[in-house]
Amino acid sequence: MDEKVPRSNIIETEIPMGTVHPAALEPYRVRFFVEDEIVQEAEITIGVNHRGIERIMEGLPVEKANSLTEKICGICSNSHIWNSCRTAEMGLGIEIPERALYIRVIMGELERLHSHFLYLAHGCEVLSHETFSMRVFYLREIVMELLAMIGGNRVQYGCSVLGGVRPRCDLDEAKLLRLKNDMDAIEEGLTGFVERFTADSIVMSRITGIGVLPQKQAIELAVTGPTLRATGVARDLRTTMFEYDNFDFNVVTQPDGDVKSNLVMRALESFESIKIIRQAIANIPEGKVVNRDWEMFDTDIIESYIEVPRGTLYHSYALESGRVRHCIIRTPSMANIGAMQYACIGDQITDAQLCIVQCDPCFTCTDRAIEIIRR
Amino acid sequence: MGIKSFSRVRAIHVMLVYTGGCNGCDIEIVNSILSPRFDAEQYNVYLTWNPREADVLVVTGPVTHLNRKPLEEIYNAIPNPKLVVAAGSCALMGGVYKNCYGDIPSEEIEGPVENIIPVDAKVPGCAVRPQDVLAGVVSLLPILLDAD
Amino acid sequence: MFSNVMINSIIVAAVTVIVCFIISTFLPGIERKYVHARIQQRIGPLVISPGILAPIKFIFKENVKVESPVPGLYKSLPVICFIVVTCLLIALTPQAFAIPALSSLVAIVGLLKVEEICYVLMGALSKSVMSVRMPFPDQIKGAVHNNAARSFIEDISSRRSLRMITYGSFPLYLALFAPITQARSIFLADIVSYQQAHGPFLFTVSGAIAAIVFFIGYMIILNEYPFSIIKAKSDVIEGPYMEYAAKYRAVVYLTRGFFMMVLGVLFSVLFLGIPPLITSWSILVNIIVALIFVFMMGIFSAFSPVFTNRQLLPTILGTTLLGVLAIVIGLL
Repeated sequence: MDEKVPRSNIIETEIPMGTVHPAALEPYRVRFFVEDEIVQEAEITIGVNHRGIERIMEGLPVEKANSLTEKICGICSNSHIWNSCRTAEMGLGIEIPERALYIRVIMGELERLHSHFLYLAHGCEVLSHETFSMRVFYLREIVMELLAMIGGNRVQYGCSVLGGVRPRCDLDEAKLLRLKNDMDAIEEGLTGFVERFTADSIVMSRITGIGVLPQKQAIELAVTGPTLRATGVARDLRTTMFEYDNFDFNVVTQPDGDVKSNLVMRALESFESIKIIRQAIANIPEGKVVNRDWEMFDTDIIESYIEVPRGTLYHSYALESGRVRHCIIRTPSMANIGAMQYACIGDQITDAQLCIVQCDPCFTCTDRAIEIIRR
Repeated sequence: MGIKSFSRVRAIHVMLVYTGGCNGCDIEIVNSILSPRFDAEQYNVYLTWNPREADVLVVTGPVTHLNRKPLEEIYNAIPNPKLVVAAGSCALMGGVYKNCYGDIPSEEIEGPVENIIPVDAKVPGCAVRPQDVLAGVVSLLPILLDAD
Repeated sequence: MFSNVMINSIIVAAVTVIVCFIISTFLPGIERKYVHARIQQRIGPLVISPGILAPIKFIFKENVKVESPVPGLYKSLPVICFIVVTCLLIALTPQAFAIPALSSLVAIVGLLKVEEICYVLMGALSKSVMSVRMPFPDQIKGAVHNNAARSFIEDISSRRSLRMITYGSFPLYLALFAPITQARSIFLADIVSYQQAHGPFLFTVSGAIAAIVFFIGYMIILNEYPFSIIKAKSDVIEGPYMEYAAKYRAVVYLTRGFFMMVLGVLFSVLFLGIPPLITSWSILVNIIVALIFVFMMGIFSAFSPVFTNRQLLPTILGTTLLGVLAIVIGLL
């Protein structure tokens, strides 16, 4: 694969899209520099969504700050609160009951399912394939019901608290049974969808070789998460997280880095998530779900990385008399913006939004400063 | 019921504008319109992305600084009679982001939506449930019927 | 005596047009509810909602000042489109066969071309709020290419419709000319009378191939989903129609349904030899053909993504070759 080079000389015309656009859904501005409908360069402007969450968190009690991190993103809200709690727990040395870890993993994987289904549905929607999009949304609804069952809300569940999970989120026999049955339903539905999707030659011809992100470029742009794995790099933080020690799963990779690889990767990764949830249901230990027995003391800056549906999430803060100081949050989509701009180059303008969508953008998380240091 | 009201009730075009919330409401609303589970089209509510076609503008998010003017422009582009639904607590009162600098007035958050454009219906919730969004849009029908 | 015949035939033609128009308003609803919604496993809207009630609603909306360099021309374009489609239907009625200049294939192709040129003008004249006019600080210090020319998204759409005129509509025109190979005349009267004598053109080899080509051309000219690059949601949103509001949007909506109907009637005239005539039961055939086309188009569009130029060119090339094949077989 030849390296794609952004054209810097004369540009025929510029087509800006956003901040309101049907294919984007989120508010951001993108300027495409186009020559004969082929995108030569793209510039994504973030900052439209800047709300200053870290500033709000500064000086809040850590429990409050944790629940505030949920409002960073409505798609991976559980990941944010999970990682934020994890940061404090690491700093304070809080021991978390085994059962709580399992419930956190179940929530995390359910969230991965709903995020990946949203990705597939949105991808099909941008392809203008309404029927496929509807079918995935129908599957996603099962996951949303499960999340609402465990957390009590469809979007922001507030599952993790310092020392474990909220007692509301404890799973009894009936809930576990429902979870188990619904996993079967989701697997059946997803298998059917993936078979239909990959057998559809029109769709396949439409997405193969579009928005290619070569492996070398992906590493250089510091791409994370599924977007990186779709270029053939088997890097998944879940393999190093202690929460996932007892689980057996594969790191899925795809070779090409194009839209097809990305979509298929998300679908295959959803099967791995179902596998993890099944293991969690089968082996969930008895016991309490939250450890209230801990003490607060001042700490240095604590850092925590976890794997969320879109890549690597980083939270760090210091604790000072129970309050959060020097908070830094780095969301996965931010690392992928370079990939989005790069993937558009050389494709038709109709595909340009698809190339952005293939990197699974979440611009509401993303409004932070960014500097790419090339080494 | 005249033909005007009859047709207005049975064809409602909804446009969505996201103004920088957390994405939770946005996805729930798209969910309510796109997913076959809630299927807004059975109530003859259609999703459109063209302000010239829209009747009802659904706004989510606390309206960040860069989103203020686009929101106003889009509101002005909609032909009368038009209605605005503010969905989610951010759109209603700025949510958790409103007081982000404490006593110092925030330059980032221009919201709530009411400060910028007139709001006809408010759908509370963080995040809003799809059922509530549909109920909010449908609750506007009496206003739409009486409009000229 | 002569004037009586004149008036009678004008009345019959007018009633035919009106009946076809009324039926045509149901077609978008039928496509949406009975095809798309059924395939997507949901209930879907009222049948009369997209085709009838939505235009009525738009009629009752307040007019706005459209953002266009030539607002007068821009506003008149949908009306021109509607008149063109009406003329097309009038040309197909048996009463119009008396006017050879109108009821010939050349006139029909000309009218269809006018329709296509309207899309180009619409796209070029529409300056909607959704792209360049969106108030956003784009050209600022640090941004790339601060001196590039800036285009509206409708400009892409306009350029694409121009491309569609040059090669995109070949399949439809080739399919229109295929019946000539049998009837050896470009006049609709001859084509109809030939088919009434020798059986429908559709049931010959050449006719069957041409019918497939016609169907693809039908979808291309109606901008339905796989071929809808001039109004693809993923980049140009609604393309040429972006700025139409209120009454003009109502005309746009009505034209679309009417155009579906008229193309169905065109097929039944050219391929089955049955012109629309309100006084005979054969008009049912016209309606059924139009319905079958709408169903087929709905099914096809529900299962396909939007094409880009990359897929469009081979598809159109293949269909064009098929159309040439139909004509060659017809000539042999």
